[in-house]
Amino acid sequence: MAEYVNLVRRAVGQLTGHGGVRGLLLQFFRANDIKTGALVGVDKYGNKYFEDNRYFFGRHRWVIYTTEMNGKRTLWDVDGSMVPAEWHRWLHCMTDDPPTTHPPVPKKFLAEVHQINVSGSAEQYYPYSTTRKKIHEWVPSKAGDQ
Amino acid sequence: MLRLPAVSRAIAGVAHSKTCLAPSNNFRTSVRASSNMVEVFVDGKPVMVEPGTTVLQACEKVGVQIPRFCFHERLSVAGNCRMCLVEIERAPKPVAACAMPVMKGWNILTNSEKTRKAREGVMEFLLANHPLDCPICDQGGECDLQDQSMMFGADRSRFTEGKRAVEDKNIGPLIKTIMTRCIQCTRCVRFASEIAGVEDLGTTGRGNSMQIGTYVEKMFMSELSGNVIDVCPVGALTSKPYAFTARPWETRKTESIDVMDAVGSNIVVSTRGGEVMRVMPRLNEEVNEEWISDKTRFSYDGLKRQRLTQPMVKDASGQLVTTSWEDVLTRVAGVLQSVQGNEVAAIAGGMVDAEALVALKDLLNRLDSDNLCTEEVFPMAGAGTDMRSNYLLNSRIAGIEECDVLLLIGTNPRYEAPLFNARIRKSWLHNELQVALVGHEVDLSYSYNHLGDSTQVLKDIAAGTHPFCEVLAQAKRPVVVVGSTTLQRADGAAILNAVSTIAQNARASSGVEEGWKVLNVLHRVASQVAALDLGYKPGVEAIRNAPPKVLFLLGADGGCITRQDLPKDSFIIYQGHHGDVGAPMADIILPGAAYTEKNGTYVNTEGRAQQTRVAVTAPGMAREDWRIIRAVSELAGVTLPYDSVAEVRDRLAEVAPNLVRYDDVEQANYFKQANELAQTVDQTLLAEPLIPPQVSVKDFYMTDPISRASQTMAKCVKAVTEGADAIEEPAIC
Repeated sequence: MAEYVNLVRRAVGQLTGHGGVRGLLLQFFRANDIKTGALVGVDKYGNKYFEDNRYFFGRHRWVIYTTEMNGKRTLWDVDGSMVPAEWHRWLHCMTDDPPTTHPPVPKKFLAEVHQINVSGSAEQYYPYSTTRKKIHEWVPSKAGDQ
Repeated sequence: MLRLPAVSRAIAGVAHSKTCLAPSNNFRTSVRASSNMVEVFVDGKPVMVEPGTTVLQACEKVGVQIPRFCFHERLSVAGNCRMCLVEIERAPKPVAACAMPVMKGWNILTNSEKTRKAREGVMEFLLANHPLDCPICDQGGECDLQDQSMMFGADRSRFTEGKRAVEDKNIGPLIKTIMTRCIQCTRCVRFASEIAGVEDLGTTGRGNSMQIGTYVEKMFMSELSGNVIDVCPVGALTSKPYAFTARPWETRKTESIDVMDAVGSNIVVSTRGGEVMRVMPRLNEEVNEEWISDKTRFSYDGLKRQRLTQPMVKDASGQLVTTSWEDVLTRVAGVLQSVQGNEVAAIAGGMVDAEALVALKDLLNRLDSDNLCTEEVFPMAGAGTDMRSNYLLNSRIAGIEECDVLLLIGTNPRYEAPLFNARIRKSWLHNELQVALVGHEVDLSYSYNHLGDSTQVLKDIAAGTHPFCEVLAQAKRPVVVVGSTTLQRADGAAILNAVSTIAQNARASSGVEEGWKVLNVLHRVASQVAALDLGYKPGVEAIRNAPPKVLFLLGADGGCITRQDLPKDSFIIYQGHHGDVGAPMADIILPGAAYTEKNGTYVNTEGRAQQTRVAVTAPGMAREDWRIIRAVSELAGVTLPYDSVAEVRDRLAEVAPNLVRYDDVEQANYFKQANELAQTVDQTLLAEPLIPPQVSVKDFYMTDPISRASQTMAKCVKAVTEGADAIEEPAIC
């Protein structure tokens, strides 16, 4: 019996734990999941990291992404690369010590501001062409020059 | 056919009795009746030839090709390669077919044991000193020596000695020399001295140490120099810009027309992978024979540089930025709709096809404007362009070969129309043509009577007081050619009046038959005749006097109108293929196609309509010109009634039927009436001397948007001004 009560309590907790109907729907559509857990920490961009060890390994740590990161709106357009390196370690179970309790050792290769992956966007990297152009187009002179 | 002459002749006689069935035999017997023909036999086959015909020509008449290296139909006979040796029956030794005139009753054996042995021996001697570098030779695949050694050469080598090597010569930025490959056929030497008229090339030494060269270090300075590449039977003279870029079997050939000058030379455009690899001449006896000028042949790399590939529009800061076709087309249509009548004007440049010209004219006419001009000026006083004979090269290019006195006025045909000049030279050489020139004294590659460069000379000849009038009066078939640039002076109408009077007087005094045309105008741009046929106004004077609000430049890169000529708020649309002179001042740029990228109609200076064909697709977003104008018209609400090139040509036929009668020259007439109208013009000749714009060879290379964008042409200009050594070449070349 107590088992079922617990189950119902967890279900109610998941439904009410996101800040009303609006919050619940937002969570459901953004993360495709409404599970709740202990908030382990928030990084400086606003990504929230949760843990609930009742879920099996691999699903027991998760992130709810921030809605705006590095000037980009990420309410719907989220990407795994939004997780900074120090949280990436914890999230992927390379360590059990979150950077909140064990701040990472400062390394000069660690980025000050974490960059999101730009693949598929206008800023993505293009390898330069090694072949000669067949047609060289005319480049108009700058407006001020003439 | 039949090897036995007696049987063959008997059969011919049988065929003769049935004349209705065998008209060719009928022809032959009628020739046989005239006694000055001689009969010879080629491998036993009888053929009637004129006396003086060579053995090689007699064989050609029955369709037997004799292998040859030094012999070329358009050059004098040298007879030094010995490849054309054939056996004559009962002759003691083989004869060189190219140089030996036939005798009555000779039986020429073109495939006998002795002939084959002779050829094999000659081929062995030729190959003894020829490098075996066909795999890295640019002539590979189109080499006469390669082909003929496969056909007639021996199948094994007896050669154990070392090969002769000859130092390469730098004869300019166009022609690459690998002199070790030279077989001393001297075709190039004969071409230079006979066709091009420059005695630059020659031979030094004899026997094994004979060399072709320029004697001293210098360039091969001719506007026709590229033709020695075609003339060379081996890979000794090849194209420098084309070196190591393509093989003949991997290129696609498209037969097209050249638009670099007004001659309209017939060309073959070789392309590979959407890129023009080279331009070669195509045979047309009426126009360019088998030669083309260096600008035609080598300026193709200009088609790959400075191209307009994207539609562009000027943004708020005045900077041209790329945009989409939808954007520019709606903008252009909006601008055209916002103006009325003659507030919109158009200028057509020198390389525009007739299809685009008629589409633009229809578009502007539908917008109630008739302000359509060409960049080139032509005097409109008197008959103007109403008489077609006023602005054509009426006696045709080939007609020069029939005339006996030629008067050139204010023109330098050598650089304005090199192939026309080659015709004059040919006629001067073979028909004893007398040439006289009024205008700046220039090197025309043949001798001429220089009458002076002042307009007073013209006046004197027209009045009949000049000493040259006696020569002109003696002429049986006189021709007068005036350069179109001379008619662009302020006193153009007076010059045209004087010239047409001279022509009319010469015609009257010569008593030549009715069909002979005397007055000729030599144009310098390819689109001018088509534009005038379609009713464009020559010259931009009207636009300068009444500046329009909207100006449509269709390939206008002559720079005859600048921003300063127009009010500040005027709107300029440029449509064309190169960012040259017109594009930087435009508010909107519509990228068009160059002549290798469209099916276009061009009318040359004789009035001969010819069409270019699509060799490569236009780069980027560029489109055929008439299609762009058609799209603009639809958005501007005045849809033009044609959707395909065939329908545009139907429209062309409505306006000027001669524009679609391809390869045909539409004759013009009414010289007398034109002259009478010209005499009504009240204009006096100015004292300034008659100087054509292209005086020396450095003015020849860069005259239009394509050749101005060409690096090869820039190298040529540098080489002629600073010497051939000034050009840096890659080490392996």
